[in-house]
Amino acid sequence: MDPILLIVVCVLAGGVLASLGVHLLPVGGAPAAMATATGVATGTVMLMLGAAMCGLFTAASVATYTSNILLVSLSGAVGSWLMMGVTMLLANLLYVFGAGVVPVSGRVDVDPITGQSQKEYKTPQCDGHGVPNVSYISGMIGALLGGFGGALMYFALLEYANFEPTMAGVAAMAIFVANAIIAAYNIGGTIEGFHDPKFKRLPKAILTCAIISLLSGVLVWVVANMGGLIG
Amino acid sequence: MLFAWMLLIVFLALIACMFEDLESDIGSQSNPNSQVQLAAQIGQVNRFFNKAISGEAPSYALYCTIAGVVAYVLLLKDVNPLLAIPIGALAGEAIHVIFSVTAHVGRTAAQKRFEQPIYLDVLYGHLLPIATHGFMATLCITAIAYIQCNLGTLSGMPALDHPFALPLLGFIWGITVGAIGSSTGDIHYGAEREFQDRPFGEGKRVVYHGKITRYADCGVRTQKDIAYFCAKYGGPITGFTFGLIILFESWRSLIGMMLGGYLPLQEAMASDTLLGTVARVATELIPAIPAAIGDLTAIIGIVVGLAIGIVLIVGNVVIVKWARKRYGPFVGE
Repeated sequence: MDPILLIVVCVLAGGVLASLGVHLLPVGGAPAAMATATGVATGTVMLMLGAAMCGLFTAASVATYTSNILLVSLSGAVGSWLMMGVTMLLANLLYVFGAGVVPVSGRVDVDPITGQSQKEYKTPQCDGHGVPNVSYISGMIGALLGGFGGALMYFALLEYANFEPTMAGVAAMAIFVANAIIAAYNIGGTIEGFHDPKFKRLPKAILTCAIISLLSGVLVWVVANMGGLIG
Repeated sequence: MLFAWMLLIVFLALIACMFEDLESDIGSQSNPNSQVQLAAQIGQVNRFFNKAISGEAPSYALYCTIAGVVAYVLLLKDVNPLLAIPIGALAGEAIHVIFSVTAHVGRTAAQKRFEQPIYLDVLYGHLLPIATHGFMATLCITAIAYIQCNLGTLSGMPALDHPFALPLLGFIWGITVGAIGSSTGDIHYGAEREFQDRPFGEGKRVVYHGKITRYADCGVRTQKDIAYFCAKYGGPITGFTFGLIILFESWRSLIGMMLGGYLPLQEAMASDTLLGTVARVATELIPAIPAAIGDLTAIIGIVVGLAIGIVLIVGNVVIVKWARKRYGPFVGE
């Protein structure tokens, strides 16, 4: 495939995957820090960026000894998956042993994966608390997709646009942040995962992120071309 | 030697994230600060330090990047790393303290209409703990970034040096440490210590919001009482989170490198023996050999990482099940 097309396609795919990943994370924002809402107690962009950066670190190492795009992207995905997995698990340890609450969803009465009932375990006037199993699994899938997208963009910038590794990392992160922020606006504060009614807003975010990523991909090509990195 | 450096990184990560969380508790940096902000607005005059410069992740990314840039420049000028890294961390913390003062004074001044005074003893008394805890976190992150940048050189295999420059690694780990400190450590402060006079074992209801616990065991509560409490559980768990992430990431990469043949190949190529010469000539003549070894290394790393993730999912299922059985359905009104 033509390098120009490869750059644009990879950046586009990476941006869309980042947006999809953000929608799958269980983000509780500030209310989750008071165990008033389900999810991880931080902002959408910060959580996704933290996970994606962790994946990007590993992906950059892996890119030094393999030039297989799938393996580099998967390494980034697994880095994010581990970061989210450990963070959500230990957050639950704090909820259970530090605050004495049972992790429950506030959006569904029955956990769609384990079938555990949620309603009777929930504190009144709260929108759930902790990270229930359905949100945990949704978050793990989101981290995989987001990490894959971030590493895919990094690899495209590194190998096809011939950016220097540090510059490729900075540029990939910048495009990732733009997409994550668009997704965060769409979510509007908190989301529990794929079972949350807010997840249905996904198509709008995907379309917006696709446009943003397409523009970013073209911009990368222009920068690489003008800088004499390709062509 | 490589394993020793890896373990040192894990230990530094543990210390960094613990201090980062405790600093965010002392300065009320993150999500639970919404309650400190709200408290004054509903007439709950308090002596909390109201410092929300930004989210923890961007602010720590800023301090760690400043520290990384200063250390990087000093290292380029041949300054010893043992001096360059602390000086870099000091520069990052200087910015941190400036932001702490402006954020606290600015936010509290804006609450004049709610009759919330600016207590100068609260301002002066918290700056040093904020700076010292923040310094520890920034210092450890900068040290991690330095070691990772030079991991190969330090362990005798130059190919293992991370391709990213030191400031970018500082940025990456600053973002990550802030995201973790915000998402795990905040819970102990926000859901427990901030509402300690409310019933234990339930989510903090919306009607409690803003009505924070303002009195300590003795006298009026400030953030120093909170750091003392959170250092017993929230801080160590947060440090443990980052430490585990770095441990799993490093461990799966190393397992992949060992079983995939990348590490033995690098060791052989770095040696001056006949084997080393053969390895160097073979990899140069047949590029498919290092490519195949690299692919295998990456595949093993991915598989090990996925396996660890599945164990984590099982761990969450067990914890949720245990909590449901132990605590039972919600009782009360």
